[in-house]
Amino acid sequence: MGINSLVDIAKSALFTTQQAISVTGHNVANVNTPGYSRQQITLSENVPGDGSPGQIGTGVHAEAIRRSFDSFVEDQLLSSREQLGKFTASSSAMAQLEPLFGDANNQGIGAGLNEFFGALQDVATNPSDLSARTVFLSKAGALAGQFNQSAAALTDAQQSIDHQVGQTITDVNRLTSQIAGLNTKIANAESRGQQANDLRDERGVALADLGERIEISSIEDATGQLTVFAGRGQVLVDKERTYQLVGVPDLSNNGLLDVRYDAGAGPTTSLGPVIQSGRLKGLLDVRDQTIPSLRGSLDSLASELVTQVNQQHRLGFGLDGSTNQDFFVPTGTTAGTIAVSLTNVRQIAASSTAVGVPGNNANALTLSGLRSTAFAPLGNATFQDYYSTIAGSFGSAAQGVQSNLQAQQVLHDQLTSQRASVSGVSMDEELANLLQYQRSFESASRMIVVADELFQSILSMKR
Amino acid sequence: MRVSDLQFFGSTIGDLQRTKERIVRAQEQIASQQRIAKPSDDPSIFGQAILEKSALADNDQWIRNIQFGTARVAVADQTLGQAQNLISRVRELAVQARSDTTSAQGRVTIAQEVRQLHRQLIQLANTEVAGQPVFAGTKTDAPPFVLGVGDSVSYQGNSESQSIVVGPNQTTQIVLPGDQVFTGGTTNIFDDLSNLLTALESNNGAGIEVGIGALDQATAQIGLAQGQIGAISNRLDTAQGTAQVVSEAIQQALSNQTGTDLATALTELQLQQTAYQATSQTFTRLFDSSLLKFLPPA
Repeated sequence: MGINSLVDIAKSALFTTQQAISVTGHNVANVNTPGYSRQQITLSENVPGDGSPGQIGTGVHAEAIRRSFDSFVEDQLLSSREQLGKFTASSSAMAQLEPLFGDANNQGIGAGLNEFFGALQDVATNPSDLSARTVFLSKAGALAGQFNQSAAALTDAQQSIDHQVGQTITDVNRLTSQIAGLNTKIANAESRGQQANDLRDERGVALADLGERIEISSIEDATGQLTVFAGRGQVLVDKERTYQLVGVPDLSNNGLLDVRYDAGAGPTTSLGPVIQSGRLKGLLDVRDQTIPSLRGSLDSLASELVTQVNQQHRLGFGLDGSTNQDFFVPTGTTAGTIAVSLTNVRQIAASSTAVGVPGNNANALTLSGLRSTAFAPLGNATFQDYYSTIAGSFGSAAQGVQSNLQAQQVLHDQLTSQRASVSGVSMDEELANLLQYQRSFESASRMIVVADELFQSILSMKR
Repeated sequence: MRVSDLQFFGSTIGDLQRTKERIVRAQEQIASQQRIAKPSDDPSIFGQAILEKSALADNDQWIRNIQFGTARVAVADQTLGQAQNLISRVRELAVQARSDTTSAQGRVTIAQEVRQLHRQLIQLANTEVAGQPVFAGTKTDAPPFVLGVGDSVSYQGNSESQSIVVGPNQTTQIVLPGDQVFTGGTTNIFDDLSNLLTALESNNGAGIEVGIGALDQATAQIGLAQGQIGAISNRLDTAQGTAQVVSEAIQQALSNQTGTDLATALTELQLQQTAYQATSQTFTRLFDSSLLKFLPPA
């Protein structure tokens, strides 16, 4: 045991402490970096040297720099991101549809129906009054217009969601290639025995971003590379290799994009029915379920209105003696195509007899009675009942998604907090560590000074 | 539990965000006076409100219909009263003419006044509201009673009636066709007057006697019409009363269900503001208690 070994011990302490201070500095620097996992240095004693009466220590070294990481929390956080992505997408898409039901401000189809039938009763009370007839015709036009606008708004919303689907597919492909690139870097670094802490953090962020967009699962192999699967097992990333999602216009679905998986060879497969969460799922739900079902309901309503009003209107007589006239264009039986056919207010068939004009209003009364009639194609509901059911069930769906989103946000905050508890940087802790390492550094420096003094003493003996 | 800085900031930001959302929501409710503005605010109430608004529109429309009908019916009622007075004046004249002391010349003179009254009755029977005759059935585009050759009057209206909607599946007739009131029923009043004129001018005492009998029938016939109009008027009044009560009840219900209760909304706003302030203040305090503060300057 010589003074040299004392210098070596002090030197190992100096180096190791510097490394520890660097790790602390890195932690402090990344306190606000998203996805950053706090790093910890693991110190270990050097192999002791044999001596008498026993082994003597030879100093310290840094064994590893590890990141604080709880894979269970990370997995939960990832699936929470998937749910969050789904609910966020569908909730905001549905929020855009809510203005279709402007009933709180007396707008929309419900109010249109009220005004249509109100004006019709004005015609019934005063069948020979041309101004009542003119008002009725314009209210009918307004009602048809409200149907048309709703249908157009649904189409617009569908297009805009479809655009987001396309964008999300691009995002997914970008993120998978980013993950594949990081796979390679991590494998390279770790094959050289390095801990690729920061690269792993970066890959974790990319994986979470990917999960927000599409339901995924992943496994890590022995080399540290991730294999990422979409939905029920379609491989998106296999080590350095990626497989693309493609958006193919589906002609059986109005040319909207079908999300397909391209395995590189053979036919592509549709992912739409397979994935259960993530932004894509939320978008596809609203695009392919909510909107078509809303449109279908409005179409049924428009169709029944056209059929019933026309059928009764044809039985009556106009002021000009006209009869067997359709009120609405008979072919316009969807919300998008409903239109008023009559242009001449005298042709409004208020009278039930040819000789009863102008004062006979029996047909107008029967027409206005349609308002309180239940129709089998509408599920034995009146027009207004049926419409209120449409609004109510859409509202329930939107409310359901909103409350799911809120619950998911709370859960996500909790998980984020759990992750932060494990992986987040605490300034107080780092400052305490810094002080501790600073003191070690000072002490180790002191040892060098002492060793030097010992050398001086020995050297001075020679004189 | 180990607490990191991120956790501390993150959760506080989440809390503040949610509190702020509730503040905005309360503020919206106060400003718009609507607690339920979108279907998702309360789906079942929203759907119900659509039906209530529809019922409200119905009731308001019925009130409108009734007001229209009431105007017609009031005019018809007034006209029938005038017709009744006119008939009784004719009867007075006829009784005067019947007297054996009245000379042939006197009867001719009386006939002149009766003829005036006859023409006046035609006018009454042709009474219009807003350009539409009241006693024409549904043939409302022309005066129903037309004076023909001599004192003959023909009815050119029809026998149809008009009904209006006054309530749920309830209609009320608002038109008595003229043939029922004047030219049909038990007697043709214009023919009666015309026959009386002939009897007066031909100095036919027996004919005058018959004419008086016919006038009694005419009085009864118009009286019957007055009774019918009165009944219609009653029904309209009742229906209007009902529709108004229902309309107010629906408005009240709608405002309770979908309107903002100011007290609740203001309390909620105050509560959330307090929560926001408290969170902000504790956050600043906690942020202050960092180890950095107690370390000596480097």
